[in-house]
Amino acid sequence: MGTPIPREIHDLEHERFLEEVHSFEFWFHSVEGYLSNTTYGHRADQVDESPTDPVERQHLITVLCNYCIGETAALEGASGLIAIAPNQLTQVFLSTQVADEGRHLEVLLHRMRELGVAYPAQETDRRASRALKQFRVELLKLVEGRDWEAAIFAQNVILESLEFSVFRAHAEIADPITKQILEGIIKDERRHIGFGENELGRRLHGAPHIRTRLARVRRELDHLVLGMLEDSSREIGVPADRQADLARSYSQCVERLGF
Amino acid sequence: MADTIDAYSIQSWLESCPQSYLMNTEHGHGADEREPDFLLENEVLREETIKATVQLVVGERCALSASSGLINSAPEESSRRFLATQTLDEARHVEIFTQRLYDLGVAKKDLESTIQRYANPNLVKFAEILLEKVDRKDFVAGVVGQNIVLEGMAFSVFELMHAMNEPVNPKFAHTLTGTIADERRHVGFGENRIGALIRQHPEKTAEIERMQKEMSYYMLATFADAFRNNRTIDALEEAGIERAHADYQGVDIGVMQPEEMEDVLADTVLKEFKIRLERIGIEYQTPTRP
Repeated sequence: MGTPIPREIHDLEHERFLEEVHSFEFWFHSVEGYLSNTTYGHRADQVDESPTDPVERQHLITVLCNYCIGETAALEGASGLIAIAPNQLTQVFLSTQVADEGRHLEVLLHRMRELGVAYPAQETDRRASRALKQFRVELLKLVEGRDWEAAIFAQNVILESLEFSVFRAHAEIADPITKQILEGIIKDERRHIGFGENELGRRLHGAPHIRTRLARVRRELDHLVLGMLEDSSREIGVPADRQADLARSYSQCVERLGF
Repeated sequence: MADTIDAYSIQSWLESCPQSYLMNTEHGHGADEREPDFLLENEVLREETIKATVQLVVGERCALSASSGLINSAPEESSRRFLATQTLDEARHVEIFTQRLYDLGVAKKDLESTIQRYANPNLVKFAEILLEKVDRKDFVAGVVGQNIVLEGMAFSVFELMHAMNEPVNPKFAHTLTGTIADERRHVGFGENRIGALIRQHPEKTAEIERMQKEMSYYMLATFADAFRNNRTIDALEEAGIERAHADYQGVDIGVMQPEEMEDVLADTVLKEFKIRLERIGIEYQTPTRP
């Protein structure tokens, strides 16, 4: 798209680094690499090898319904967070995240249409996991309560880490189109998790009491997350011996912040 | 409806904006384009340009808050997805106009104090009226205020600024070309989406008409302050810089006095409001002229 961002970005001093990575310009150059030549998240010439077995196909649709609820929660959360963002830089980053989450929702709904679902939004409401729906409610409560740290923790650390782990496991065994869609989403999630870790890392360093509050938020949300992981593993078809890896991958993301 | 959804999808936005007119740009303009020397070297011209750019940042910050705030009150997910692209467009505008302040010599540490110093109180009031609707999660009034009134104003202001800058400041004219293209999309969404909602909620009409009248008043007051207290033309004359001809709405604003330019802009915006509001079934309310 535009002029490339310099490669030595990690050599920049911290404030300048944040200015770069939270900007529209950075987003613009990042997504170009993996979104150009795609339509609705995948290459237009990719042959659809989605499951022909009706049971497997229904499982895939249910999984996509859950992803849609997760992305809807992320879209609502990120857009709500703009109103309570502490400065222009974080507002701009969250705006790129809003567009990313909107895109994820769009490509997943489109994938469901490709799989023959006539009304994906209704199907999503009908099939999505109860734990995920509850997580969406809890996340919005934190955003509406204007609790910046807790909402960023729930959104950019817990939810994004959960999605990152599940999508990565699913991409390994998915049909080629679903795999391409998920790989594009995973690249976005990496940026979102990085923002959450950076934003909270600095705040936790300056005010350790925030850690106690966030640990409580994690305890309150953990049972929902574990429920979602279990549901997702079953629907995706992750072998039983790999399910623990999925939970571990999620935990590692969250524990990088010291929780 | 299917065509409408496709036209406002993120896929369509990716193809028409980042993968189209933003290609090969940096902060909205060519990487080698700079603000002209005569602007940077003349203190009065530089300050007037900073003042005008601050109003753009204030307007775009309001648009960013409004478009992101409307996402969660949108009645259907296709509108949410369009507003997600609009949120990013507005954030880009905030970023490129902020970058222009830096290009004009504002230090990064002085950004907020510069904005506070120069932000026009009438424009702030204009923004508050809109954001109050957004905070109340009033989607219909919010979209009319945002995508018809605010974006309609921005569209005409950008076009006027583009006409004035094209002959003398290609860098800023180039920046404005992208924002004009964005605003055109936003206004189009407002007109297409909101007409049906107004028909579903006729009880909202009176409140929306009041909002339009009030916002229009503060918009005109902002224009009045911007043109009547502007030292640009005097500074150009003093420096012996000849004004360039600039066609806007069929008149040469390059030879006009500030008050005449104010009239042309105000009449253009209000005429556009009237046309767009009629299309969505809202009766245009003539504002008091400040």
